[in-house]
Amino acid sequence: MKYVILIHSNPQPWGHPTGDYLAAYQELPDDVRKRLDAEFEQVMSELQANGELIGGEALGDPAAARLYRWEDGSPLASDGPYSEAKEHLAGFFLIDVENQARAEEVAAKFAGPGETVELRPTMWPGGDDQ
Amino acid sequence: MVQRILADVWRREAPHVLGALLRRYGDLGDCEDAAQEAAEAATSQWPIGGVPDNPRAWLIRVASRRLIDRARADSARARREALDLARRPDDGGVAPGADEVPATEVDDTLRLLFLCCHPALSRPSQVALSLRAVAGLSVEQIAAAYLVPVRTMTQRLSRARTTLRGAGARFAMPPDEELAARVAAVLDVCHLVFTEGYTRTSGETLVDVELAEEAIRLTRQVHVALPDHDEVTGGLALMLLTHARLPARTDSAGDLVPLAEQDRSRWRRDLIAEGVALLEQILPRGHVGRYQIQAAIAAVHAEASTYQATDWMQISVLYDMLSRVAPAPSVTLNHAVAVAMAHGATVGLALLDPLLTDPAMRRHHRVYAVRAHLLELNGDVEAAAEHYRRAAQLTTSLPEQRYLNRRLRQLGRRWT
Repeated sequence: MKYVILIHSNPQPWGHPTGDYLAAYQELPDDVRKRLDAEFEQVMSELQANGELIGGEALGDPAAARLYRWEDGSPLASDGPYSEAKEHLAGFFLIDVENQARAEEVAAKFAGPGETVELRPTMWPGGDDQ
Repeated sequence: MVQRILADVWRREAPHVLGALLRRYGDLGDCEDAAQEAAEAATSQWPIGGVPDNPRAWLIRVASRRLIDRARADSARARREALDLARRPDDGGVAPGADEVPATEVDDTLRLLFLCCHPALSRPSQVALSLRAVAGLSVEQIAAAYLVPVRTMTQRLSRARTTLRGAGARFAMPPDEELAARVAAVLDVCHLVFTEGYTRTSGETLVDVELAEEAIRLTRQVHVALPDHDEVTGGLALMLLTHARLPARTDSAGDLVPLAEQDRSRWRRDLIAEGVALLEQILPRGHVGRYQIQAAIAAVHAEASTYQATDWMQISVLYDMLSRVAPAPSVTLNHAVAVAMAHGATVGLALLDPLLTDPAMRRHHRVYAVRAHLLELNGDVEAAAEHYRRAAQLTTSLPEQRYLNRRLRQLGRRWT
């Protein structure tokens, strides 16, 4: 089953890994931060070794986005960011795992203070006829 | 043309070539690599020199040579193994002569499946390894079939081989006390491959292998190896009876057609006849497992001229049996549908109540889809609409989502 893990964040300044630029993350005691970092490294290499990780990307600053809106029958381009929301899409991972429980276990490891991690199933081109 | 012959020969011979190598040299990963290199050598040499009289012996000979070469180049430990290997006669005779009944053939396939479905591996790894080693599919084909990049599938396979190595898994029949569980695992893997293939609707992706047919081919081989294993026979019957519906389960636009609306004249009578014949052999023997019961249910559907004419009483009895032999939420769901058709929607709905509080099922779309159907049957349009909407939100199947949204729209039209 495929899922995307979406990292919604607002690092200041924009940068990756996002935790390095999030006050809430930087304020954590050293040992806690080290533990979180190690856990993340661990789950990433696990995903890789198991063949569960399909891919992922870190995204550029939302200010670097170009937006296209339909106006009078043609696309009209403008500069980002897309919204004034507190958090923006900062990166995503695509995973293929055995079940929902495993997906949730993985997604939880991506969570950190100061940002929101969203786990979404992908749609697949099949179905049951019962 | 030679390419095509080569591909066919390879698919047929892969498990036997691997079996012969594994008997002499234990490591699955090394043997697979060597067999792959032999297949590549065949690709370049057969078009020029022609297909050898005994392709299997040729492939085994070439692969063995590669194994010896590699072992010689490897560590001292590996060197000892190579010497051991070289000391044995170079038996191209591992391949049977023309007059020999290939009794080891069926055993090879079965042993290889036992190895690939070793309990140390996760189900997806068992599936991938079986398709690679036993069905002889390329990594590219398996990756395409499971809609993942080749790199991901390669990682999965090499991780699986490492796990097997670590678990000390061997190319051998499991001990008697493990046999039942190991056969069950093999059968589950075959069924999983089948389901993956069968539930995929065509049109969205281009896959050059038919997973459902691969699964049937594998299960047939297990059936030949274990002809008296009733659950294996039942599993094969289930796949045949289900596969018979394939031509009717999608419409011309590639959208899913539910069982209730399928054009039954398009069902494959040959597969139905074969499945029913298998069932008639085993059902009288009495000890029925879940695959046999599911096959019996599929047979009752197959024999009904219309959805309405289905013997729902019999199907609800069979689901009742199934819910005792192999209880699962999906069984409860189908049981509820059958009971609703046999005894009325209210009775069916009552069966579903426990699932609503089951945390694992609370977010499962089928609970809501089935409830929506039964509520609609009961004339409770408002509640049905709410359930269709919830089911459409929760499903991850594109054709199912389109179907559920269509039902919702139709309901709305009648409602207003």
